[in-house]
Amino acid sequence: MGNRVDIAIIGTGPAGVSAAITATVRNKSVMLLGSADLSDKVSKAHAIQNYPGLPEISGADLARHFADHLKRMNIPVTDRKVTMIYAMGDYYSLQIDNEFVEATTVILATGVSFGKPFPGEDENLGRGVSYCATCDAALYRGREAVVVGYAPKEEADVRFLAEMADRVIYIPVYKKEETAAMAEDLFPDRPNVEVRKCRPLSIAKKESKMVLVTDDGAIETDGIFLLRESVSPGKLVPGLELDGNHVKTDRKMATNLPGLFAAGDITGTPYQYVKSAGEGNVAALSAVSYIDSLKK
Amino acid sequence: MSVKKIDSPEFQDAIRSGVAVVDFNATWCGPCRMLAPVLEELSDEMAGKAAFYAMDVDDNPDVAASFGINSIPYVAVFKDGQKADEQIGFVPKPQLQAFIERNL
Repeated sequence: MGNRVDIAIIGTGPAGVSAAITATVRNKSVMLLGSADLSDKVSKAHAIQNYPGLPEISGADLARHFADHLKRMNIPVTDRKVTMIYAMGDYYSLQIDNEFVEATTVILATGVSFGKPFPGEDENLGRGVSYCATCDAALYRGREAVVVGYAPKEEADVRFLAEMADRVIYIPVYKKEETAAMAEDLFPDRPNVEVRKCRPLSIAKKESKMVLVTDDGAIETDGIFLLRESVSPGKLVPGLELDGNHVKTDRKMATNLPGLFAAGDITGTPYQYVKSAGEGNVAALSAVSYIDSLKK
Repeated sequence: MSVKKIDSPEFQDAIRSGVAVVDFNATWCGPCRMLAPVLEELSDEMAGKAAFYAMDVDDNPDVAASFGINSIPYVAVFKDGQKADEQIGFVPKPQLQAFIERNL
């Protein structure tokens, strides 16, 4: 395992960028994880009217300023997806693909892009519903599985699962343009994979089997894999206390897990760029105090 | 005390009497690797209250299948041979400890 960073920041919207800047000013080692193009939600905004000092700025321009600010301070963006964050006691372990990175503190600033779970999804998570094909594939040797993939990159996981499972049904639910480009026969080399085009609606358990109800009928199988772009914060960080769909924080942006802070839209409304940037600043300063308190 | 690695033939003996905590895991499972040191600590702190075991699901697919394990880490508490409760997935130490104590 490599060096432990002081502060790992997940998310490159206003909250994450602001936290990274403040943490760097305070001389802490920072790992900023997220999209290298920074947050979609910023660059796609038409005009932002209430960001002090930058009247009527477009989202694209604000994103450029953010990128420029990070560059000037030599803060790189690590463009990799964090699948899980484990509270290990006096540090955190971040799972990035199959690697682990250690951080003394974590600031969650991932926004609120996650959708609502399907009816029956939460109750059956770990009991037939999984979010990670590479993690649980080996448990499906000689069995059947249904995979719902939200982006073409999940096709690699389908191949991996199909090496273990007897039969895999793949349901791609991509964005419109990606679906149009999708070939009819995605897996010519994997005769045990069947691609179906339908919309999943709900999940149920039927004795030892799972049932995925879709707009084109119900599918009975052994397990259902849901491979989404982002998962809700409670699933990203096991043990994290939520307040509805948001992460519960106090005025210091501290969560129920010591050393883990949250900032931006993930903590709740109002969803405003300037509020997110402010919370990122508070979260970074709180993380700095927490790190200093550990050294006493 | 520490976590004792067991295989299928030893399983029934391990859970027969008292409280046994069994961690079903695999070498390729990231969350399992994170949970292992937590269980190791708890096995020391809870010595005398519960016995701790670890079982690789790849080496022992029969036992894993008998409990319908679809996802790991899967930590089960057994009381006098009967499964009392299960905890699926990684949880931080205080929550895992509370889960075991609830089932003592």
